[in-house]
Parts: sequence; structure tokens; C-alpha cells
Amino acid sequence: MIYVHKIASVTPQKELLPASIDEVNESVNNVLKVVEPKYEGVPLSILRRMGKAVRMGVGAALPLINTLEFPLNGIVIGTANGGMEDCIKFLNQVIEFEEGTLTPTNFVQSTPNAIAAQLSLLSANNGYNITHVNRGLAFENALLDVWMLLKENKTHTYLLGGVEEISSYNYNIDYLADWFKKDEVSNKAMFASETEGTLSGEGSAMFIVNAFPEKAIAKIDALHLMHTDDVTEIERQLQHFFNQHLEDGQSIDVLVSGENGDIRSRHFFEASERLLKDATIVRFKHLTGDFATASALALTITCQLIQSNVLPDHMVKIDRHKKNINKVLIYNQHKGIQHSFILVSKPAA
Amino acid sequence: MANEELKHTLKEQIIKYLNLLEKTPADIKDDQVLFGEELGLDSIDSVELIVLLEREYGIKIKDPKEGRKVLVDVNTMADYIIANRTR
Amino acid sequence: MSRIVVTGIGVVTALGDSVAANRDALKKGQCGISFLELFPSRYAETLRFGEVKISNEQLKQKFKVRDKGVTRTTLLAMHAFEEALQNSGLTNEQLTSYDTALIGANTVGGMCLTDELYHDANNDFEGSEYISSYDIGSVNIYMQKHYGIKGIGNTINTACSSSANAIMYGARLIQHGLAKRAIVGGSDSLAKFTINGFNSLQILSSEICRPFDASRQGLNLGEGAAYLVLEKQEDAVGKKVYAVLSGYCNASDAFHPSSLSDAGDGPYLAMSGAIQEAGLQSHQINFINAHGTATVNNDEVESKAMLRLFKDVPPFASTKSNTGHTLGGSGAIEAVYSILSIEHQELYPSLHFETAIESTGLKPLLNYVQQPVHHVMSNSFGFGGNCSSLIFSKA
Repeated sequence: MIYVHKIASVTPQKELLPASIDEVNESVNNVLKVVEPKYEGVPLSILRRMGKAVRMGVGAALPLINTLEFPLNGIVIGTANGGMEDCIKFLNQVIEFEEGTLTPTNFVQSTPNAIAAQLSLLSANNGYNITHVNRGLAFENALLDVWMLLKENKTHTYLLGGVEEISSYNYNIDYLADWFKKDEVSNKAMFASETEGTLSGEGSAMFIVNAFPEKAIAKIDALHLMHTDDVTEIERQLQHFFNQHLEDGQSIDVLVSGENGDIRSRHFFEASERLLKDATIVRFKHLTGDFATASALALTITCQLIQSNVLPDHMVKIDRHKKNINKVLIYNQHKGIQHSFILVSKPAA
Repeated sequence: MANEELKHTLKEQIIKYLNLLEKTPADIKDDQVLFGEELGLDSIDSVELIVLLEREYGIKIKDPKEGRKVLVDVNTMADYIIANRTR
Repeated sequence: MSRIVVTGIGVVTALGDSVAANRDALKKGQCGISFLELFPSRYAETLRFGEVKISNEQLKQKFKVRDKGVTRTTLLAMHAFEEALQNSGLTNEQLTSYDTALIGANTVGGMCLTDELYHDANNDFEGSEYISSYDIGSVNIYMQKHYGIKGIGNTINTACSSSANAIMYGARLIQHGLAKRAIVGGSDSLAKFTINGFNSLQILSSEICRPFDASRQGLNLGEGAAYLVLEKQEDAVGKKVYAVLSGYCNASDAFHPSSLSDAGDGPYLAMSGAIQEAGLQSHQINFINAHGTATVNNDEVESKAMLRLFKDVPPFASTKSNTGHTLGGSGAIEAVYSILSIEHQELYPSLHFETAIESTGLKPLLNYVQQPVHHVMSNSFGFGGNCSSLIFSKA
């Protein structure tokens, strides 16, 4: 059982959940880039070396850590690529200067664990420090790690996060691998798109979590991750997940769906909807774009929905007119082979 | 290039190579110790500055001890550039 | 809590392409570090590396890999994985069941193909066959599909301690009932990316590395992979048990992105945490496979942390003097070497050492010895101050 106590994020939107579609920032050339805050509290002498992923991760997490009432026992981050821009900047130097004299800063910043490492440095935290990078299940593994940590140490508190940056380089790579749309589609119309590919996005989501229910904003009941491309397998495992984790009489109020406007993955999301005939279906990737750790932002959004009990219209695909948002299922998939279910509920008052 | 002009250009290059946010050439004095408290530079920065000397002025510094003598302040860097530049 | 035991091991390094070949070379004090023969780099004839002298084509043939886009990091991982699998006697049914986890680690992924990545990242015409194989996760994701493993899959990156942390994560999945068995390890292949990265930090030695020597000048990069099969002791009845994974701990040094603190807080916390987790006292540790990269910073700090923790520092050695620093592979490779010391009750010497570091006076073990070995500690410290220690014990 994981209780979420604080959330912070950096996303392509000014507010995490814009109230109306008019307030939703629009994608440019099929990309949704984050609106970066000023990062007050991060020393300039350190900020100068950070690439965007590290900046977004540290910028969102540091204020959470600095205002913590509990001691922090460790830092657990999920990111598929970490500082991709620094990585390719360094790589470009390797090639362009023919392995000559090169500057090390990009190299040091390019390791995916730079976010968790920089956070431990800035908060003088000697605890457990780990970075999970298993692409579309990087954040899920971070969540699973925290779940185990809190079973091992019931009084501990951890920082949990998911971060991904989009640079022109990794956009290029994933574009050439056919993961982004070739036709220009606005994020505001992405779910109606009938073409292959999704929109590219980025973001950082940070959580303070422990096993104490008092004053928690959300409770993570269960998590399941899968590696398969078989939709019947997903249906079977989702049914099994409900049997295991929903008590008699309990039902899902809202499905937060990772639908991403790619016709190749639509059948996965339709399958999850078939098993949730009474739940309101909401989508979020028009706010964030798609990326390997988008499920981290899905969790932030879910926490916010549970806390506010308000669903902005532009997120709702099918309204089943629920009075209260008490139990939410997040279903996300990445590139058709990595899938996850996260069950979140409102903590008892 | 006159000495003063070289120092100004060098300061701009230092700011660019080290990405010194919100600093201008006017903020770096000619005799200000580079690796002191104020600029907050460290060993990784010293490597960046050695790369600067190679890429901008064609000067290769192989021996770290030599590097420590050159990278004291803007004055020592400029003097070394004038004496050793190949471009 | 159950005891987690090791029921299979596999390793490939510059010392050899099997557990037996690696052990033989360790016993003889052989060094696998040389100039480059297979990997093209400007530094092929000026710097030395722990290169595995098996070409990608040979590896692909050996494992009948016909898929496109399979990189050397993956092929080396498969090499060690298949040996570990064979040793463990897992059936195909067990391998492909929902309760088998596959936890990998590496630091370069498909970036060993630095030139191909350069073109794919900077151009917008057709991508190469490696377009989906550059990220670190690609190694494990490919293997999960290739071997049909349906349980939890994960990849960990904490720089040079990555695969030590993968071993920890796999053990914890079993402890929590999230897997019945876990195949854990890591790999890395030589890459222009890492060669030039470490070179830019001026921590590559132009000579063969000399861990813990006063005149050490830096590290030699290497490549390789190792995998372990972990199971609960009660599930391994009747099987060959190589060793018990009795303790582990990860801690952060929280000091600098690329060097360790003077007092070695991170290394001290990792080592002492692992001893505590194992329910041991420091004097019970018979041997330490040190991180020992031969950089000026690491060896002095690691020595100081050992002096802080141990009243009498036990015999220790750095097998990086045999294999070079294999980055994401090193934690798992050195875990295998630690397990071999327990299995065969023998300790392997550290190479290329002459004079102790003045401030510590510590000398690594310099001869092959046979002696009772109950508990071996293996250290792995990575960039960002990521420090992990594992303890393997006699079953």
C-alpha cells in the first residue's frame, strides 16, 4: 500500500489540468514541449550544467523534498532515456571532433541516473538511490520498487518520480522508427485521428510517498505490469487484476486511459473499455503528448482528479455520470508491447 | 587583437563554454581567481576550459600541472594564449 | 525472509567466454587487457582495453540471431544469460512462466553503435536497422521477447553500479513473492561514447591499470556480461547451489557527479548496510572484491572507507586489473567472481600492484590462495555517488 502525500510536475500545460479546451496549449509540429518554470531554489551554479531532463526532474522534486516534514529515506526515478539531449550533444562531439579533446559535462549529465544523483547531492541524501530505465515500464518499475521498499520499511518516506525529455534527436530517432505521426495533427484533435503514430511529448512527475494514510491525497492499491502484444492476454490479465484487487461490490469510477491517437494501438484501449462498462473514460495525452514514462503524469493527473473530484470536459471520452471519484484505474501501453495497470483510490477520510 | 579585446572575447567564451547563467563579461574581473568561491567552478570546468583553449586558439595542454598554472585567472589565460596560440 | 540462493552463473569477459575460462585465468593471474583488435577507434593502438575477442558475427551465429538491430551489448548479455540458464537447469517451461523475472542493466545500450546513432539522431531520411535498439532498455526488452519471458522485466541504470543493483532488485522481487525466480545481471560493450566520455574526464590510463597502486593513473575500459539465476533456497532443493546472496545495500555518496567524497560516506554506508542485512559482523568477511577502478579518486576513497569499517581490513583485490572496467557489466561479473571464490574456496590475486597508497598503506592480495571462504563482499560504485555492496556466502 502506497500513500501519496505530495505531487509536483512539469508538463506541456501551464496548469496540470486546464479547465477548458481553450486553455489547453496546442502542439507545434506534432510535439508538446513542457512549459518550464523558473526553478527557484536550484542554485544557478548547478542549474547551468543541467540538461532539460535533469532540470525538469530536479526542479519539480527539490521543492517537495525541501518542504518535507518527514526524513527522506531514498530517491527512486523512472526514465527511459534521461538526458538524451546531452547524450547526443556529446555523441556529436565524438564524431565531429573525431574523438579529439571533448568536454565532459554533457557526458556526465547524459547518464540516466543523473536526475536521481543530482537530487541526492542537492538534498544531501545518503539513502537508496535508483534509476529504472526499462523504456515504457521504467516508471512502473520505480513504483514497484517503492511498493517493496515500503513493505520492507513501514516508517520510511521516498521520493518517486518519472521524467522524460524530448529533444530534436530522440524525436528524430522515434520518428524514423514510425512512432510519431507523419501527417500534422493537433493535440486537440488527436483522438479522432485515423493515422498511424502518436504525438511526441515530455514531462516530469514527482511524488512524496510513504505508508501513512493520514492526510494522504491518494492511495495506490495495486500495480501490474506486462510484456505482451496480445490483446486477449491484456483482457485476461485485467480481469484477473480486478478479481484480485476489487472487493465484492467495489467498482471502478474512472478509467484514465493512455489512448494516444495511434490507430495501431486503439484495440488495446478499446479492450480495457469493454471491461469497464460502468466507468467514466477519460484521456490525458492531448495534455502531455506520448512518451515512455507518460504513466507517471497519468498518476499525477489521477491524484489531482481524486483530490478535486472534478473532471474537465475535454478529458472525458464517455461520461458515466459518477458523483464521486473514489476508485481509478490507469491503463497505459507503450509501443504495443509494454502495458501496465495502476489502481488508485481516494484514501478513507 | 589588442590585449583588452582578447580578454573580453575570452570572458565571453568562458561564459559560453561553462554556461554561466546570468553572468556577463563585466561580472568577471581580469584578476578574479577562476576556481574560487565566487564563480563556483570545479575540476570538470577546468577540463572545459582546456577544451576552450584547444578549439578557439589551437592550444593543446596535455599536462594537468601546466593547466593549473594557466587557468588561474583571465590575465594568466590571456598571456598564455598570446604566447602560444596557433590560430 | 527466505534465503536467496544462486543456482546458475554465466560470464563473458576479456578473460574468456565461460565461467570455467574466467576462473582459470583468474587463478593464473592472467590479464585480458590489450590494444583493440575488433573495435574501431582512434585510440585502438594508444589506449588499452578489456576487449572480448569474439566478433558480432560469431556471436550472432552462435545464438542463431537472425533479427535485425541486435547490438553487441545484447549479444554479450545473451552469451552470459545462456550459460547461466544452462547451469541452472531451468526448464523452458520455468523460463517462460509468469513468475520468472528478467532484470538487466547496462550503461550504453545500443550506443556502442556510436556512428549509426549519430546518423539516425541527426538526419531525417531512412533510419538504420538499429533505430529501435539505442536505448538502455532495448537489451532487456529484446531478450524478454526472444526468450519468451512473461514475468517482470526491468533494466536498471546507476552507471557503474547498475548490475549490482539489478541483482538486488531481482532478489527483492523474489522476497516479496513477485517472482519465483529471477535472472539478473548486466552487460556493456565498448563504445566510442564511453571511451571518449571517460577520456574527456581524464581518468583513462594510457598504461595497463594498477588498482590501489600509489602511481595509478586511471582505468582501462572493458566489455563483458554476467548473469545469475536467483531462487529461494526451498525451491532449489536437489539443485547445485553456488552461493547464498546473503546481504546487499545501496547508498548515495551525495557529494559530486563524478567523484567520491574524501571520507567515502557512500562506500562506507553501502558496505556496512550489506553486512548488517546479512546479519554478520565485519570481521566475518573473508574477502572483498573491491570496486578498484584504479582512478586516483576511487581507490583512495574506497581504501579509506574500508579502513573506517574494518578493524583489520580483510584480503581484497580488484579484478578490474584482469578485465578492465566493464561499467554496467562489472557488478554482475564481479558477483560471479565472488561466487567462484566461495564455490572453490579460493581467492584470486590483484594484478599490476607495486606500492601502497601512502595515506592508507593498504595492499591488495597478490597471490592465488586456497583457504576457507565463507563470506565475500563485492563493491560497485558509480557516477552520481551510487554505491552498492553485495555479500555472497557459502550455502
